Amino acid sequence: MSQKTKAVAVAPLLFLLTLFLLLPSAALSQESETCLSCHSAMKGTIKTQSGSMVDLNVDADKFKASVHAALPCTECHLKFSGVAHASTGAAVPSDILSLSSKISAKFTSDPVAGAACTKCHEEVYQRVLSSVHGKNIIEKKQGDGALCLDCHGSPHYITKIKDGKSPVSRKYQVETCGKCHGSQEIIEKYKLEENVMDSFKESFHGRKLHLGHTRAPVCASCHNAHDIKSKSDPASPVFGKNKLETCGKCHKGANEKFVPAITHKRPGPIPHYGEKLLIILTMGTFAFIISHVLLEAFADIRDAVFRKKEGK
Amino acid sequence: MSKTDTAASGIPKEIERFNIIFRIQHVLMFTTFLILSFTGWGLKYAHDPEGLSSIWIRVWGGPDTAGLIHRIAGVTMLLDFIWHVIYLIYLFATKQMTINTKTTVIPLPKDIFDVIKNFMYFFGLSKEKAKFGKYSYAQKFDYWAVFWGMFIIGSSGYALAFPMQVSYLIPEFTTGWIWELLGLMHSDEALLAIVFILFWHFYNEHLKPEVFPMSWIWITGKISTENLKHHHPLEYELLFPEEAKKEKKG
Repeated sequence: MSQKTKAVAVAPLLFLLTLFLLLPSAALSQESETCLSCHSAMKGTIKTQSGSMVDLNVDADKFKASVHAALPCTECHLKFSGVAHASTGAAVPSDILSLSSKISAKFTSDPVAGAACTKCHEEVYQRVLSSVHGKNIIEKKQGDGALCLDCHGSPHYITKIKDGKSPVSRKYQVETCGKCHGSQEIIEKYKLEENVMDSFKESFHGRKLHLGHTRAPVCASCHNAHDIKSKSDPASPVFGKNKLETCGKCHKGANEKFVPAITHKRPGPIPHYGEKLLIILTMGTFAFIISHVLLEAFADIRDAVFRKKEGK
Repeated sequence: MSKTDTAASGIPKEIERFNIIFRIQHVLMFTTFLILSFTGWGLKYAHDPEGLSSIWIRVWGGPDTAGLIHRIAGVTMLLDFIWHVIYLIYLFATKQMTINTKTTVIPLPKDIFDVIKNFMYFFGLSKEKAKFGKYSYAQKFDYWAVFWGMFIIGSSGYALAFPMQVSYLIPEFTTGWIWELLGLMHSDEALLAIVFILFWHFYNEHLKPEVFPMSWIWITGKISTENLKHHHPLEYELLFPEEAKKEKKG
């Protein structure tokens, strides 16, 4: 009888355990399993028809941990939806094909793969296309960026922003934007604001973020993410009076005298020379107090050793 | 000139140098100063040395809490300072305090000569150290440094802590650079204040052989007449002219 009750108690537990053990593997589609059986072991890169270099390796564990784990490979790798590796280009839907044809030939990934994100993320993708980043690829036909993968990293390994490991998370976002906005080459090429990274790092915002302040802003907090605009575009959240609303998200009642507090420009002459003045004052004071303290100490030692006082 | 002599001639053994109100103001000043230094340091040097400031700030409850502590301590210090100024005005208004060149904390030309004289003594060019009134130049420097700190660090700190309120007060033409300047003022002068306290105040009131480990006046408020005669001879002469004369003759 006790045996029976045990079995009754254990059976559902066993069932749940098996279910748990099965679940993660069930998350991968049959097709992905097939592809990964080779691609998780492969190494090196290969040149595609469009001339981009593609990494052959897909880390199976990292893929399983990504938000896209449940998708079959051909959901995005549309060219391979027929027989793998055989015929390419045939099965790509026309809307994606036309979008991919607009993508600059200099773009770092395969254009069809670059366009495939729109299948599920169409609304966001449209906003990217209207942004300075999207237009740079679609209209200016430049390869530097940015489309989805430039910021989010490989689609195989995309995790939730809140996960903390995502390149667009609070922890890594500034670094990710800095790949381009801190690059001298890109800054010169596009005539970008040149002191963006340093000014943020030195600002109260940047320092607090670095220390782990929970409400300190990251780039997208002020500049927006997918529909990012040039600061000279009236639609930009940091254009002119739009700043009142943007700063006001955190600083209630932000007014026109307050919003100039944050800028990426180098400090003007007054703060610059003001600081120089303060440094001179500080150094002068240090020189006086330190020499005074040291000399006094030496004089005291001298007196104690060589000038034994008579009484007093 | 032993102690028994002076006691016999009716001179008190010790006199009050700072009353209880000044002592409370000093305690408030240095506790808030230490808290502000500790919490502010983490933000000033947030990036270097890498990772260390994050740990240090976590000691203070993380950046959100450390910021709150810093603001509360800052406001407390400002209120303490305002209390001090109002109290001084009250003392002057009721004639409990008057200005005398031998007891005032106001810097006088004599202080410059005292500095020169002491430096000459340090170098062995003079046989005598400078003689002070109630406040030596070192103590005056200590005292007025707080005023400078309040003016520069206190005002900028207030503006940075309550930017929205302050933004209504600042003139239009300054908005392009004032915030940057306020940040620099606060951070640079805070470093000056910390180094100043660490070297000047700590040496003069703690490390000096004659006061080590510290001058107890901050708790007791009392200075022994013996000490007064030695360190503040001019004040001693002012307070006990008869005795001073006798001693000089003797």
